[in-house]
Amino acid sequence: MIRILIASLLMASPVVALAANNVEVVSEMFVEKAVVQAGSQPKIVLVKQKSGPPGTKLVFTHSYHNGGQAPAANFAMTNPIPSGVDYIGSDDAFATVSVDGGKTFGPLGQARVRASDGALRPARPEDVTDVRWALKASIPVGGTGKFSFRATVK
Amino acid sequence: MPAGGDGIEQFDQEMDQMMRMIKLLASASVIAVAAMGAAPAFAAGTTAGSSINNTATVNFSVGGVAQAPVTSNTATFVVDRKISMTMSEPGNSTTSVVPGSSNQVTTFLLTNTSNATLDFGLALAQQAGGAAVHGGTDNFDVTAPTFWVNTGASVGSASYDPANSIQVTYIDEVAADASKYIFVLANIPAGRANGDVAGVALTAQARDGGAAGTQGAISTETVGANTAGVDTVFADAAGATDAARDGLISARDDYTVAAPVLTVVKTSKIISDPLNGTTNPKMIPGASVEYCIQVANGAGGATATSPSITDVVPAQTAYDATFGIKINGTITGGVCNADGTAGGTYTAGTTTVAGTLNNLAGSASGTLYFRVTIN
Repeated sequence: MIRILIASLLMASPVVALAANNVEVVSEMFVEKAVVQAGSQPKIVLVKQKSGPPGTKLVFTHSYHNGGQAPAANFAMTNPIPSGVDYIGSDDAFATVSVDGGKTFGPLGQARVRASDGALRPARPEDVTDVRWALKASIPVGGTGKFSFRATVK
Repeated sequence: MPAGGDGIEQFDQEMDQMMRMIKLLASASVIAVAAMGAAPAFAAGTTAGSSINNTATVNFSVGGVAQAPVTSNTATFVVDRKISMTMSEPGNSTTSVVPGSSNQVTTFLLTNTSNATLDFGLALAQQAGGAAVHGGTDNFDVTAPTFWVNTGASVGSASYDPANSIQVTYIDEVAADASKYIFVLANIPAGRANGDVAGVALTAQARDGGAAGTQGAISTETVGANTAGVDTVFADAAGATDAARDGLISARDDYTVAAPVLTVVKTSKIISDPLNGTTNPKMIPGASVEYCIQVANGAGGATATSPSITDVVPAQTAYDATFGIKINGTITGGVCNADGTAGGTYTAGTTTVAGTLNNLAGSASGTLYFRVTIN
Protein backbone atom coordinates (compact mmCIF):
# COMPACT_ATOMS: atom_id res chain seq x y z
CA MET A 1 0.00 0.00 0.00
CA ILE A 2 2.75 2.38 1.00
CA ARG A 3 4.83 1.40 -1.97
CA ILE A 4 2.00 2.09 -4.37
CA LEU A 5 1.50 5.46 -2.81
CA ILE A 6 5.15 6.38 -3.19
CA ALA A 7 5.21 5.16 -6.77
CA SER A 8 2.32 7.39 -7.68
CA LEU A 9 3.90 10.33 -5.93
CA LEU A 10 7.18 9.68 -7.68
CA MET A 11 5.55 9.91 -11.06
CA ALA A 12 4.24 13.31 -10.20
CA SER A 13 7.56 14.61 -8.94
CA PRO A 14 10.15 16.28 -11.10
CA VAL A 15 12.89 14.03 -12.39
CA VAL A 16 16.29 15.61 -12.19
CA ALA A 17 18.34 14.49 -15.12
CA LEU A 18 22.07 14.54 -14.69
CA ALA A 19 23.14 13.61 -18.13
CA ALA A 20 26.87 13.87 -17.57
CA ASN A 21 27.25 10.55 -15.83
CA ASN A 22 24.10 8.93 -17.07
CA VAL A 23 23.22 7.79 -13.56
CA GLU A 24 20.38 9.80 -12.15
CA VAL A 25 19.29 10.08 -8.55
CA VAL A 26 16.06 11.68 -7.43
CA SER A 27 15.85 12.47 -3.73
CA GLU A 28 12.58 13.05 -1.95
CA MET A 29 11.22 13.42 1.56
CA PHE A 30 7.96 12.14 2.92
CA VAL A 31 6.24 12.55 6.24
CA GLU A 32 5.08 9.43 8.06
CA LYS A 33 1.55 9.85 9.23
CA ALA A 34 -0.50 7.48 11.31
CA VAL A 35 -4.05 7.20 10.02
CA VAL A 36 -6.41 5.92 12.65
CA GLN A 37 -8.61 3.14 11.41
CA ALA A 38 -11.68 1.94 13.18
CA GLY A 39 -11.18 -1.43 14.79
CA SER A 40 -7.56 -1.96 13.85
CA GLN A 41 -4.04 -0.66 14.27
CA PRO A 42 -3.34 2.82 12.91
CA LYS A 43 -2.05 2.63 9.37
CA ILE A 44 1.18 4.44 8.55
CA VAL A 45 1.04 6.34 5.30
CA LEU A 46 3.64 8.51 3.65
CA VAL A 47 2.59 12.01 2.75
CA LYS A 48 4.41 14.41 0.52
CA GLN A 49 4.70 17.41 2.80
CA LYS A 50 7.10 20.31 2.67
CA SER A 51 7.13 21.29 6.33
CA GLY A 52 6.54 19.91 9.79
CA PRO A 53 7.29 20.64 13.44
CA PRO A 54 10.00 19.01 15.58
CA GLY A 55 9.12 15.39 16.20
CA THR A 56 7.91 14.83 12.64
CA LYS A 57 8.96 11.45 11.29
CA LEU A 58 10.50 11.74 7.85
CA VAL A 59 11.28 9.17 5.20
CA PHE A 60 14.08 10.12 2.84
CA THR A 61 14.18 8.28 -0.46
CA HIS A 62 16.67 8.13 -3.30
CA SER A 63 15.55 6.63 -6.61
CA TYR A 64 18.34 5.82 -9.01
CA HIS A 65 18.33 5.00 -12.67
CA ASN A 66 21.18 3.95 -14.87
CA GLY A 67 20.46 5.93 -18.02
CA GLY A 68 23.84 5.28 -19.54
CA GLN A 69 25.03 2.84 -22.19
CA ALA A 70 27.01 0.58 -19.86
CA PRO A 71 26.44 -1.20 -16.55
CA ALA A 72 27.37 0.83 -13.46
CA ALA A 73 29.65 -1.15 -11.18
CA ASN A 74 30.80 -0.55 -7.62
CA PHE A 75 27.68 1.48 -7.05
CA ALA A 76 27.73 3.20 -3.64
CA MET A 77 25.38 5.93 -2.53
CA THR A 78 26.34 8.00 0.48
CA ASN A 79 23.94 10.24 2.34
CA PRO A 80 25.19 12.49 5.14
CA ILE A 81 22.40 12.83 7.69
CA PRO A 82 21.17 16.43 7.46
CA SER A 83 21.52 18.58 10.51
CA GLY A 84 18.14 19.01 12.15
CA VAL A 85 17.18 15.35 12.07
CA ASP A 86 17.99 12.25 14.09
CA TYR A 87 18.58 9.06 12.14
CA ILE A 88 16.17 6.25 13.00
CA GLY A 89 17.11 3.52 10.56
CA SER A 90 16.99 2.23 7.03
CA ASP A 91 14.60 -0.41 5.77
CA ASP A 92 17.38 -1.62 3.51
CA ALA A 93 19.05 -4.32 5.56
CA PHE A 94 22.36 -4.00 3.74
CA ALA A 95 22.71 -0.28 4.51
CA THR A 96 25.78 0.62 6.54
CA VAL A 97 26.23 3.64 8.69
CA SER A 98 29.00 5.91 9.89
CA VAL A 99 29.18 7.51 13.32
CA ASP A 100 32.40 9.41 12.59
CA GLY A 101 31.38 11.80 9.87
CA GLY A 102 31.81 9.32 7.03
CA LYS A 103 35.33 8.11 7.75
CA THR A 104 34.27 4.52 8.36
CA PHE A 105 31.10 2.60 7.64
CA GLY A 106 29.64 -0.56 9.10
CA PRO A 107 26.59 -2.02 10.78
CA LEU A 108 25.20 0.16 13.55
CA GLY A 109 25.40 -2.75 15.97
CA GLN A 110 29.19 -2.75 15.72
CA ALA A 111 29.69 1.02 15.92
CA ARG A 112 31.03 2.63 19.06
CA VAL A 113 31.12 6.27 20.01
CA ARG A 114 32.95 8.08 22.74
CA ALA A 115 30.61 9.31 25.44
CA SER A 116 31.09 12.66 27.15
CA ASP A 117 32.95 10.91 29.97
CA GLY A 118 35.49 9.57 27.46
CA ALA A 119 34.32 5.94 27.60
CA LEU A 120 33.27 4.05 24.48
CA ARG A 121 29.64 3.05 24.30
CA PRO A 122 27.55 1.31 21.66
CA ALA A 123 26.30 3.78 19.08
CA ARG A 124 22.66 4.69 19.02
CA PRO A 125 20.70 5.57 15.88
CA GLU A 126 20.92 9.30 16.67
CA ASP A 127 24.73 9.02 16.61
CA VAL A 128 24.66 8.13 12.92
CA THR A 129 26.29 10.80 10.77
CA ASP A 130 26.06 9.12 7.36
CA VAL A 131 24.23 6.22 5.78
CA ARG A 132 25.53 4.31 2.77
CA TRP A 133 24.07 1.83 0.36
CA ALA A 134 26.60 -0.16 -1.65
CA LEU A 135 25.67 -2.71 -4.30
CA LYS A 136 27.98 -5.58 -5.10
CA ALA A 137 26.30 -6.31 -8.40
CA SER A 138 26.43 -3.89 -11.28
CA ILE A 139 23.36 -1.95 -12.27
CA PRO A 140 22.48 -2.88 -15.83
CA VAL A 141 21.61 -0.34 -18.45
CA GLY A 142 18.16 0.99 -17.62
CA GLY A 143 18.23 -0.54 -14.16
CA THR A 144 16.46 1.28 -11.35
CA GLY A 145 16.09 1.00 -7.62
CA LYS A 146 15.41 2.92 -4.50
CA PHE A 147 17.00 3.36 -1.08
CA SER A 148 15.40 4.95 1.93
CA PHE A 149 16.01 5.85 5.54
CA ARG A 150 13.90 7.28 8.28
CA ALA A 151 14.68 10.14 10.63
CA THR A 152 12.95 12.42 13.13
CA VAL A 153 12.99 16.19 13.01
CA LYS A 154 14.93 17.32 16.07
CA MET B 1 11.60 -0.67 1.73
CA PRO B 2 14.22 -2.24 -0.53
CA ALA B 3 12.53 -1.54 -3.81
CA GLY B 4 13.39 -2.90 -7.16
CA GLY B 5 17.19 -2.97 -6.96
CA ASP B 6 18.67 -5.35 -9.46
CA GLY B 7 20.98 -7.90 -8.00
CA ILE B 8 21.33 -6.45 -4.55
CA GLU B 9 23.54 -8.65 -2.49
CA GLN B 10 24.82 -8.49 0.99
CA PHE B 11 27.35 -5.71 1.24
CA ASP B 12 30.83 -7.15 1.23
CA GLN B 13 32.86 -5.85 4.13
CA GLU B 14 36.11 -6.31 2.20
CA MET B 15 36.48 -3.16 0.23
CA ASP B 16 38.71 -3.12 -2.78
CA GLN B 17 40.90 -0.26 -3.90
CA MET B 18 38.01 1.40 -5.69
CA MET B 19 35.87 1.44 -2.60
CA ARG B 20 38.60 3.07 -0.59
CA MET B 21 38.70 5.82 -3.13
CA ILE B 22 34.94 6.19 -2.87
CA LYS B 23 35.31 6.45 0.86
CA LEU B 24 37.71 9.35 0.44
CA LEU B 25 35.29 11.09 -1.88
CA ALA B 26 32.42 10.46 0.45
CA SER B 27 34.21 11.88 3.45
CA ALA B 28 35.13 14.95 1.44
CA SER B 29 31.47 15.58 0.73
CA VAL B 30 30.62 14.96 4.39
CA ILE B 31 32.97 17.73 5.44
CA ALA B 32 31.31 20.08 3.01
CA VAL B 33 27.87 19.26 4.34
CA ALA B 34 28.94 19.52 7.96
CA ALA B 35 30.27 22.99 7.31
CA MET B 36 26.91 24.02 5.88
CA GLY B 37 25.03 22.58 8.82
CA ALA B 38 23.14 25.36 10.54
CA ALA B 39 19.79 24.86 12.27
CA PRO B 40 20.84 24.64 15.90
CA ALA B 41 18.85 22.02 17.72
CA PHE B 42 17.68 22.91 21.20
CA ALA B 43 15.80 20.79 23.63
CA ALA B 44 12.82 22.64 22.21
CA GLY B 45 13.71 21.38 18.75
CA THR B 46 15.28 22.63 15.58
CA THR B 47 14.66 26.31 15.05
CA ALA B 48 11.43 27.04 13.23
CA GLY B 49 11.92 28.10 9.65
CA SER B 50 15.22 26.34 9.22
CA SER B 51 15.52 23.94 6.29
CA ILE B 52 16.47 20.32 6.36
CA ASN B 53 18.29 19.66 3.12
CA ASN B 54 19.14 16.16 2.03
CA THR B 55 21.48 15.14 -0.75
CA ALA B 56 23.05 11.83 -1.64
CA THR B 57 26.24 11.27 -3.58
CA VAL B 58 26.74 8.24 -5.80
CA ASN B 59 30.06 6.80 -6.74
CA PHE B 60 30.30 4.14 -9.42
CA SER B 61 32.53 2.90 -12.16
CA VAL B 62 31.97 1.96 -15.75
CA GLY B 63 34.21 -0.57 -17.40
CA GLY B 64 36.57 -0.47 -14.44
CA VAL B 65 36.96 3.29 -14.65
CA ALA B 66 35.73 5.38 -11.74
CA GLN B 67 33.25 7.99 -12.86
CA ALA B 68 32.78 11.43 -11.44
CA PRO B 69 30.45 11.29 -8.42
CA VAL B 70 26.81 12.00 -9.12
CA THR B 71 24.92 14.18 -6.70
CA SER B 72 21.20 13.92 -6.29
CA ASN B 73 18.86 16.85 -6.21
CA THR B 74 18.43 18.43 -2.78
CA ALA B 75 15.20 17.46 -1.07
CA THR B 76 14.14 20.22 1.28
CA PHE B 77 11.93 20.22 4.32
CA VAL B 78 11.06 23.30 6.37
CA VAL B 79 10.80 23.01 10.14
CA ASP B 80 7.46 24.32 11.33
CA ARG B 81 6.96 26.39 14.44
CA LYS B 82 5.97 24.23 17.36
CA ILE B 83 4.64 26.42 20.14
CA SER B 84 4.83 25.08 23.65
CA MET B 85 5.70 26.54 27.00
CA THR B 86 5.49 25.79 30.67
CA MET B 87 4.55 27.92 33.66
CA SER B 88 5.30 27.01 37.22
CA GLU B 89 5.06 28.60 40.62
CA PRO B 90 8.64 27.94 41.78
CA GLY B 91 8.16 28.76 45.47
CA ASN B 92 5.34 26.25 45.75
CA SER B 93 4.02 28.05 48.80
CA THR B 94 1.59 30.81 49.54
CA THR B 95 2.67 34.41 49.94
CA SER B 96 2.06 35.43 53.53
CA VAL B 97 0.69 38.96 53.71
CA VAL B 98 -0.67 41.41 56.23
CA PRO B 99 -3.84 43.43 55.64
CA GLY B 100 -3.33 46.81 54.03
CA SER B 101 0.13 45.96 52.69
CA SER B 102 1.30 46.98 49.20
CA ASN B 103 3.32 45.32 46.44
CA GLN B 104 3.05 41.80 47.75
CA VAL B 105 4.84 39.37 45.43
CA THR B 106 3.89 36.06 43.89
CA THR B 107 6.45 34.50 41.57
CA PHE B 108 5.95 32.52 38.37
CA LEU B 109 8.46 30.90 36.03
CA LEU B 110 7.70 30.89 32.30
CA THR B 111 9.78 28.67 30.03
CA ASN B 112 9.58 28.80 26.27
CA THR B 113 9.84 25.21 25.08
CA SER B 114 8.99 26.18 21.51
CA ASN B 115 11.46 26.08 18.67
CA ALA B 116 11.07 29.81 18.07
CA THR B 117 11.46 33.07 19.92
CA LEU B 118 8.12 34.25 21.27
CA ASP B 119 6.54 37.15 23.10
CA PHE B 120 4.03 36.31 25.80
CA GLY B 121 0.98 38.33 26.72
CA LEU B 122 0.09 38.30 30.41
CA ALA B 123 -3.22 38.24 32.22
CA LEU B 124 -3.96 37.77 35.90
CA ALA B 125 -7.23 36.19 36.93
CA GLN B 126 -8.54 36.39 40.47
CA GLN B 127 -9.98 33.22 41.81
CA ALA B 128 -13.68 33.43 42.65
CA GLY B 129 -14.08 31.22 45.67
CA GLY B 130 -13.11 27.59 45.92
CA ALA B 131 -10.01 25.88 47.23
CA ALA B 132 -6.78 27.79 46.77
CA VAL B 133 -3.77 25.95 45.38
CA HIS B 134 -1.78 26.12 48.62
CA GLY B 135 -4.65 25.42 50.97
CA GLY B 136 -7.46 27.47 52.37
CA THR B 137 -10.46 28.85 50.56
CA ASP B 138 -10.33 31.89 48.33
CA ASN B 139 -12.45 34.63 49.89
CA PHE B 140 -11.05 37.96 48.69
CA ASP B 141 -9.32 39.61 45.76
CA VAL B 142 -6.04 41.46 45.76
CA THR B 143 -6.04 44.92 44.19
CA ALA B 144 -4.02 46.67 41.49
CA PRO B 145 -1.97 43.67 40.31
CA THR B 146 1.04 44.51 38.13
CA PHE B 147 3.69 42.42 36.37
CA TRP B 148 7.40 42.89 36.90
CA VAL B 149 10.62 41.30 35.65
CA ASN B 150 14.08 41.66 37.07
CA THR B 151 16.67 43.62 35.13
CA GLY B 152 20.35 44.44 35.26
CA ALA B 153 22.22 42.70 38.03
CA SER B 154 19.18 40.65 38.98
CA VAL B 155 18.29 39.19 35.58
CA GLY B 156 17.56 35.51 36.06
CA SER B 157 17.11 35.83 39.80
CA ALA B 158 14.18 33.97 41.27
CA SER B 159 13.63 36.74 43.82
CA TYR B 160 11.96 40.01 43.01
CA ASP B 161 14.47 42.85 43.26
CA PRO B 162 12.72 46.20 43.70
CA ALA B 163 15.94 48.04 42.82
CA ASN B 164 16.55 46.12 39.58
CA SER B 165 13.22 45.48 37.95
CA ILE B 166 10.77 47.01 35.53
CA GLN B 167 7.03 46.81 35.21
CA VAL B 168 5.87 45.06 32.06
CA THR B 169 2.58 44.32 30.37
CA TYR B 170 3.96 41.42 28.34
CA ILE B 171 7.13 39.34 28.21
CA ASP B 172 9.32 40.33 25.32
CA GLU B 173 11.42 38.06 23.13
CA VAL B 174 11.83 34.82 25.04
CA ALA B 175 14.25 32.68 23.03
CA ALA B 176 13.74 28.95 22.53
CA ASP B 177 14.55 27.11 25.76
CA ALA B 178 14.82 30.38 27.70
CA SER B 179 13.02 31.07 30.98
CA LYS B 180 11.76 34.20 32.65
CA TYR B 181 10.70 34.84 36.21
CA ILE B 182 7.52 36.91 36.33
CA PHE B 183 6.64 38.71 39.55
CA VAL B 184 3.05 39.66 40.25
CA LEU B 185 2.79 42.57 42.69
CA ALA B 186 -0.53 43.30 44.29
CA ASN B 187 -2.02 45.16 47.22
CA ILE B 188 -3.89 43.55 50.09
CA PRO B 189 -7.07 45.28 51.22
CA ALA B 190 -7.14 46.48 54.79
CA GLY B 191 -9.46 44.70 57.16
CA ARG B 192 -8.80 41.17 55.95
CA ALA B 193 -8.69 38.60 58.72
CA ASN B 194 -6.09 36.05 59.58
CA GLY B 195 -6.31 33.05 57.24
CA ASP B 196 -8.11 34.87 54.44
CA VAL B 197 -6.88 33.69 51.03
CA ALA B 198 -6.76 35.36 47.64
CA GLY B 199 -6.06 32.95 44.81
CA VAL B 200 -4.59 34.23 41.56
CA ALA B 201 -3.85 32.58 38.22
CA LEU B 202 -1.31 33.99 35.79
CA THR B 203 -1.86 33.14 32.14
CA ALA B 204 0.72 33.68 29.43
CA GLN B 205 -0.38 33.68 25.81
CA ALA B 206 2.05 32.89 23.01
CA ARG B 207 2.59 35.82 20.69
CA ASP B 208 4.81 36.09 17.67
CA GLY B 209 8.31 37.21 18.53
CA GLY B 210 10.77 38.92 16.30
CA ALA B 211 10.63 42.62 17.09
CA ALA B 212 12.24 43.53 20.40
CA GLY B 213 10.30 46.09 22.39
CA THR B 214 7.05 45.39 20.56
CA GLN B 215 4.39 42.93 21.60
CA GLY B 216 3.81 40.61 18.66
CA ALA B 217 0.44 39.45 17.42
CA ILE B 218 -1.23 36.51 19.12
CA SER B 219 0.21 33.35 17.60
CA THR B 220 -2.33 31.27 15.74
CA GLU B 221 -2.29 27.67 14.63
CA THR B 222 -2.18 27.00 10.94
CA VAL B 223 -5.63 25.82 9.97
CA GLY B 224 -6.21 23.29 7.25
CA ALA B 225 -3.55 21.43 5.35
CA ASN B 226 0.14 21.74 5.95
CA THR B 227 1.71 24.40 3.79
CA ALA B 228 5.15 24.50 2.23
CA GLY B 229 6.08 27.44 4.45
CA VAL B 230 6.46 27.63 8.19
CA ASP B 231 3.25 26.43 9.78
CA THR B 232 2.40 26.86 13.43
CA VAL B 233 1.41 23.98 15.65
CA PHE B 234 0.34 24.36 19.26
CA ALA B 235 1.89 21.69 21.46
CA ASP B 236 1.45 23.23 24.90
CA ALA B 237 0.10 21.15 27.74
CA ALA B 238 -2.92 22.12 29.79
CA GLY B 239 -2.11 24.65 32.48
CA ALA B 240 -3.91 25.32 35.76
CA THR B 241 -6.75 27.17 34.08
CA ASP B 242 -6.25 26.56 30.36
CA ALA B 243 -6.57 23.63 27.99
CA ALA B 244 -3.91 21.74 26.07
CA ARG B 245 -2.85 23.03 22.65
CA ASP B 246 -4.48 26.45 23.02
CA GLY B 247 -1.39 28.66 22.93
CA LEU B 248 -1.98 29.51 26.59
CA ILE B 249 -0.26 28.39 29.74
CA SER B 250 -1.26 29.19 33.29
CA ALA B 251 -0.31 28.54 36.88
CA ARG B 252 -1.91 29.38 40.19
CA ASP B 253 -0.60 30.92 43.36
CA ASP B 254 -2.21 32.62 46.33
CA TYR B 255 -1.87 35.20 49.04
CA THR B 256 -2.73 34.20 52.58
CA VAL B 257 -3.42 36.82 55.22
CA ALA B 258 -1.39 36.38 58.35
CA ALA B 259 -2.80 39.03 60.71
CA PRO B 260 -2.60 39.31 64.46
CA VAL B 261 -5.86 38.33 66.10
CA LEU B 262 -5.93 40.86 68.87
CA THR B 263 -8.52 41.07 71.63
CA VAL B 264 -8.59 43.86 74.18
CA VAL B 265 -10.22 43.64 77.57
CA LYS B 266 -10.32 46.41 80.15
CA THR B 267 -10.81 45.49 83.81
CA SER B 268 -10.90 47.57 86.95
CA LYS B 269 -10.53 46.89 90.65
CA ILE B 270 -10.78 49.13 93.71
CA ILE B 271 -7.48 49.26 95.52
CA SER B 272 -8.46 51.32 98.54
CA ASP B 273 -10.82 53.97 99.85
CA PRO B 274 -10.20 56.70 102.44
CA LEU B 275 -12.42 55.02 105.05
CA ASN B 276 -11.80 51.26 104.65
CA GLY B 277 -8.27 51.39 103.40
CA THR B 278 -7.43 48.27 101.39
CA THR B 279 -9.91 46.07 103.23
CA ASN B 280 -13.09 45.69 101.23
CA PRO B 281 -12.68 49.15 99.72
CA LYS B 282 -15.76 50.84 98.27
CA MET B 283 -16.20 53.02 95.19
CA ILE B 284 -16.46 56.30 97.06
CA PRO B 285 -14.84 59.69 96.38
CA GLY B 286 -11.17 59.49 97.16
CA ALA B 287 -10.98 55.77 96.37
CA SER B 288 -8.08 54.49 94.29
CA VAL B 289 -9.06 52.40 91.28
CA GLU B 290 -6.70 50.37 89.08
CA TYR B 291 -7.56 49.95 85.41
CA CYS B 292 -5.89 47.14 83.50
CA ILE B 293 -5.96 46.81 79.73
CA GLN B 294 -5.32 43.26 78.56
CA VAL B 295 -4.18 42.67 74.98
CA ALA B 296 -4.11 39.08 73.70
CA ASN B 297 -3.09 37.69 70.30
CA GLY B 298 -5.09 34.62 69.34
CA ALA B 299 -3.65 31.22 68.49
CA GLY B 300 -2.25 31.23 64.95
CA GLY B 301 -2.24 35.00 64.74
CA ALA B 302 0.73 36.72 63.16
CA THR B 303 3.02 38.53 65.56
CA ALA B 304 1.69 41.93 66.49
CA THR B 305 4.65 44.27 66.40
CA SER B 306 4.83 46.87 69.19
CA PRO B 307 1.13 47.04 69.93
CA SER B 308 0.36 50.48 71.33
CA ILE B 309 -2.45 51.26 73.73
CA THR B 310 -4.08 54.59 74.46
CA ASP B 311 -6.81 55.12 77.01
CA VAL B 312 -8.52 58.25 78.20
CA VAL B 313 -8.74 58.46 81.98
CA PRO B 314 -12.44 58.27 82.96
CA ALA B 315 -14.24 61.49 83.79
CA GLN B 316 -14.48 62.39 87.45
CA THR B 317 -11.22 60.62 88.15
CA ALA B 318 -7.67 61.86 88.50
CA TYR B 319 -4.60 60.05 87.13
CA ASP B 320 -2.38 58.70 89.89
CA ALA B 321 1.05 59.98 88.86
CA THR B 322 2.68 58.42 91.90
CA PHE B 323 1.73 54.91 90.81
CA GLY B 324 2.46 55.73 87.18
CA ILE B 325 1.91 53.32 84.33
CA LYS B 326 3.00 49.69 84.27
CA ILE B 327 3.34 47.75 81.02
CA ASN B 328 4.07 44.21 79.81
CA GLY B 329 2.45 42.56 82.79
CA THR B 330 1.04 39.05 82.68
CA ILE B 331 -2.48 37.72 83.02
CA THR B 332 -3.63 34.75 85.06
CA GLY B 333 -7.16 33.51 84.69
CA GLY B 334 -8.28 36.76 83.16
CA VAL B 335 -6.88 38.73 86.08
CA CYS B 336 -3.98 41.12 85.65
CA ASN B 337 -0.92 40.27 87.70
CA ALA B 338 0.94 43.08 89.39
CA ASP B 339 4.16 42.31 87.56
CA GLY B 340 4.31 45.08 84.95
CA THR B 341 7.27 47.34 84.62
CA ALA B 342 7.20 51.11 84.58
CA GLY B 343 6.65 52.61 81.16
CA GLY B 344 4.21 54.49 79.02
CA THR B 345 3.27 58.14 79.18
CA TYR B 346 0.45 60.28 80.55
CA THR B 347 -0.61 63.39 78.69
CA ALA B 348 -2.35 65.76 81.08
CA GLY B 349 -3.85 67.94 78.35
CA THR B 350 -5.94 65.09 76.98
CA THR B 351 -5.91 63.03 80.19
CA THR B 352 -4.66 60.13 78.06
CA VAL B 353 -2.61 57.16 79.12
CA ALA B 354 -0.46 55.59 76.41
CA GLY B 355 2.01 52.73 76.23
CA THR B 356 3.69 50.42 73.76
CA LEU B 357 3.90 46.74 74.62
CA ASN B 358 6.48 44.20 73.55
CA ASN B 359 5.76 42.21 70.38
CA LEU B 360 2.96 39.73 70.82
CA ALA B 361 3.28 36.42 69.00
CA GLY B 362 0.30 34.18 68.46
CA SER B 363 -1.25 33.07 71.77
CA ALA B 364 0.76 35.69 73.70
CA SER B 365 -0.70 38.47 75.82
CA GLY B 366 0.36 41.57 77.70
CA THR B 367 -1.09 44.28 79.92
CA LEU B 368 -0.94 47.98 80.65
CA TYR B 369 -2.31 49.21 83.95
CA PHE B 370 -2.56 52.48 85.83
CA ARG B 371 -4.44 53.94 88.78
CA VAL B 372 -6.85 56.84 89.21
CA THR B 373 -8.43 58.51 92.21
CA ILE B 374 -12.17 59.09 92.23
CA ASN B 375 -12.97 62.76 92.63
